[in-house]
Amino acid sequence: MEKKQRIGVYICHCGGNISDYVDVSQIKDIVKGLDGVVVAKNVMFACADSNQKEMVNDIVDQKLDGIVVASCSPKLHLHTFRNVAIRAGLNPYNYTQVNIREQCSWAHSDTPSEASEKAAGLILAGINRVSHSEALENIEVSSTRAAVVIGAGVSGMRAAIGLSQMGNQVYLIEKEYKPGGHIARWGEMFMDGKTGDEIISALLTKVKSDKNITLFTNAGIGKVSGSLGNFDVEVRISDEILNLKVGAILVTTGYDHYQPAIGEYGYGELSNVITLPEFRELLNNCGDTLNYQNKKVNSIAFIYCVGMRQTKGENKYCSRVCCTTAIHSSLLVHNKFKSVLVYHLYRDIRTYGKQEVLYEQSSKNGDIYLKFDEKIPPKVSNSKHRLLIQVKDELTRKQDLELETDLVVLVTGLVPGKDTAELAGKLKIPVGNDKFFNEIHPKLRPVETVINGVFIGGSCQGPKNITESVQSAMAATVKINALTKNPTIQLEPVIARVNFDTCVWCGKCAEVCEYDAVHPLEMYGKTVASVNEAVCKGCGICAPVCPNDAIDIAQYSNAEIEGMIDGFSEKVELKESAESEDEQSAVTGAEMKDQPQLWLRISASLQKESKTIPALVKELDVPANVLTYHLMTMNKYSLVEADGMDDSDEYYYYRLKNIQHDQN
Amino acid sequence: MTRIDPGFASEITKYGASDFNACFNCGNCTAICGLTANDANFPRMFIRYGMLGLKEEILKSKELWLCYACGDCSETCPRQAAPGNYMAALHRYAIASYEPTGLTKLLFKNKLLFILFTSIMALVLGVFLFTLKPDHVVSRWIFKMIPYAVIHNMGLVIFTITGMSIIWGLLNMFLRLKSNKSGEAKKNSCLSSWKEVFGELATMKRYRTCDLEEDSYWKDKPAFQKPWFIHWSVMWGFIGLLAATLLDFLLKDPATTTWWPARILGTLAGLFLIYGTSMMLLYRSRKATRSYAETNIADNVFLWFLWIAGFTGFWMEISVFFTFNHPANHYILLVHTIISMELVLLFAFSKFAHAVYRPLALFYYFRENLSNN
Repeated sequence: MEKKQRIGVYICHCGGNISDYVDVSQIKDIVKGLDGVVVAKNVMFACADSNQKEMVNDIVDQKLDGIVVASCSPKLHLHTFRNVAIRAGLNPYNYTQVNIREQCSWAHSDTPSEASEKAAGLILAGINRVSHSEALENIEVSSTRAAVVIGAGVSGMRAAIGLSQMGNQVYLIEKEYKPGGHIARWGEMFMDGKTGDEIISALLTKVKSDKNITLFTNAGIGKVSGSLGNFDVEVRISDEILNLKVGAILVTTGYDHYQPAIGEYGYGELSNVITLPEFRELLNNCGDTLNYQNKKVNSIAFIYCVGMRQTKGENKYCSRVCCTTAIHSSLLVHNKFKSVLVYHLYRDIRTYGKQEVLYEQSSKNGDIYLKFDEKIPPKVSNSKHRLLIQVKDELTRKQDLELETDLVVLVTGLVPGKDTAELAGKLKIPVGNDKFFNEIHPKLRPVETVINGVFIGGSCQGPKNITESVQSAMAATVKINALTKNPTIQLEPVIARVNFDTCVWCGKCAEVCEYDAVHPLEMYGKTVASVNEAVCKGCGICAPVCPNDAIDIAQYSNAEIEGMIDGFSEKVELKESAESEDEQSAVTGAEMKDQPQLWLRISASLQKESKTIPALVKELDVPANVLTYHLMTMNKYSLVEADGMDDSDEYYYYRLKNIQHDQN
Repeated sequence: MTRIDPGFASEITKYGASDFNACFNCGNCTAICGLTANDANFPRMFIRYGMLGLKEEILKSKELWLCYACGDCSETCPRQAAPGNYMAALHRYAIASYEPTGLTKLLFKNKLLFILFTSIMALVLGVFLFTLKPDHVVSRWIFKMIPYAVIHNMGLVIFTITGMSIIWGLLNMFLRLKSNKSGEAKKNSCLSSWKEVFGELATMKRYRTCDLEEDSYWKDKPAFQKPWFIHWSVMWGFIGLLAATLLDFLLKDPATTTWWPARILGTLAGLFLIYGTSMMLLYRSRKATRSYAETNIADNVFLWFLWIAGFTGFWMEISVFFTFNHPANHYILLVHTIISMELVLLFAFSKFAHAVYRPLALFYYFRENLSNN
């Protein structure tokens, strides 16, 4: 491939953030003389709209075929300059960002000459990279307007209804005979007082009457193949096998209750020790008296965090719903059987958010709370006809206390559903250390998995209450609909590419691929590796294992990477900065300091309305570069902010940020 | 191992504690308290004791009496559990538990019974006092019913019961405090500890650390309006009057010259007592702070008794000084005597008893060197 011959390089001062340490003008002079570089400029703020406009003009006037911006981290402005390229008609992948602020001036502010040297190397590497860069177009894949939802609990059913409402065909798969999961058996719930059965019945009625939703019960998932937009999902119902073609998959398989080991707080050994779900069943089925095994229950002790938050054990996480559930149960007991005494033996109470009112109510009811340390758990033993609990109470100077109770309820947490690992294998989505399904990013991409088109929602991701489960399931439905609503899906082009001439299909690339994106393909009478564009993440693991060098990654081709290494290892001679201070920049600096009060005038002027830089230049009668410098400095210190572009999309308006500042 | 007694919380409620079940053990109350020392940890720990029914922990603690129930903690409690009021209720509980007869328990817990009891007592005392005047009709009648000796001996018995009760209570408390040794801490000498106790009583140094919070109701009030000074006035007013009465009793016949030192002391002390009790009653009627707003009837009546005793006493003083003879004087003297007698007779069975329990607790506190420095 031809090297580019018309490259533009912009080296940013960042208002002194870079230029105070890195000798930007000297580097510019070195770059200017390079082969293929036709524009090399120092700019006060590369991101300022005036400079963006100048870049657009340069690209058009000078017919630039590649640009390098040496300024800050691409995390800040990659898309800013990609958009500059697009506005100027240049393919955005022919632009390279070089980070000389975070990686040079800020990191090496004690040694400016070395910072300059490193910056020069990185800029030369960037120029070499862009000279080999390729124009790339987004990848398009077709998509089926249908989705499979696995698990018909409250999340799955709500998501199925949501997907259907947005116009998707939905196949809802439930492994049990009866849909609804654990919730259907739970009884009365906080906050609306509805029972689980009522919630589930309402959803089920809707699901059944919705002609876009097909519910399969007693059904399991078989083989899953295909990729984003075109998955083939095998559904097994007893002996029958159905093949579904869908655009996306949503996993809402939920959780299981932790089952205590025999002997854990006397569970399975002492007859009056039961788990929270067992207690709920007792509570739902009891009449006017609370009896357990034909004996009246006058007192109950809840022991919290059973099987959870184990610093040494397997389940390190907090199940977050059990505190609320246990306390809510104690309120139900109190409302129905006033005289029953309730003890709570806990490690920490986490009735977060609105659920705090439950805790408040319970303590007002006179429930007794005893806090124990994980290392010294309470001891449960038999005492005549009741149970004796011994506990070291953290809140009472660690006194050894004891109490007698008729019933001990172990507040067990949530663990991953038992089929989680198997399903994770079929869908090739990862599980976390807690063995729940893992999202890509817990905050920013909370319902997406590493496999494009496979989403997770509800408590199969980790313990959640119903509200949170439905929230995440609904988020996933919107994500799915965004993919399936158009016949095609646009994907980033940074993926692996195979050179069919040199590929001999040794299979090594397929072995290392974590996403199962590489498969053999018959072509021109031989077998070659083929990359599924919808699956490949561009991670690059396949490229170095190829013995024939037949795979490269778009934007990271051998020519680009080698060019970068050459550029960075090139010896750059920089003169001592003291003598080589660029005259023009010295003048500029003096000019800037000439008007120390300018920012006060700018803020006074912006008090009434937002203005563009040319408007401010005209109004305040100062040179444009001086005004830009001050405005950008104000921007940096969050005194002003951009406020949309003007009608001709040329200049940004700036407005005062709502910050009180001292006028002295 | 200590057994939890969950019924105790409702028992404490009968002594006037409000919503202390709402407490979630954050410890703000202890943090805000100017009096809780190094290892004292009240009010929070005492709420804990109350919730779990650890009665002995409460009764054997001197820390309970370090608290003046100023109510700083109630103001800052995030759960409106009113720890200040709770501490006041615990004081009542302790007074009731130390004395042996069980009478205090009945009086503190039952409003109606309390009113009935004090009224009947006033009536009996009134009738008895009438009988002391030979020119009254009643006397002839009553001595026909009950011989003088019986009445006289009954009086002696009642006074003995009262006296024994307070001594028993003190002994009870003393033995418990002694059993509750806190480690091998270096002890101060008895003498210096008593000195510290008297220093505290004289200056209210510790009480003055209450209500120092920035947003406290009392922060910017002049000293003479602050609770510590009001308390000081009542306490020293009463002690002064007691001393004056004793001096009068020991040195001469009552109702003679006004220049006698006891006279001056009595007048001054009476003024302080009236001022202090008036202010306390004023704060209560105005509900100045939460700790004044929520009080127990027995405590209120005790305060009224002090005020009436002070006021009627002062009236008599004025009457004697100006030789001002009003027909009502006779009855005022009667009221004064009845109320004073009730105060003395109920000493062990009312809030009054804190006057002996607190100094004892303070003594042990200073002896164990737990002071705030």
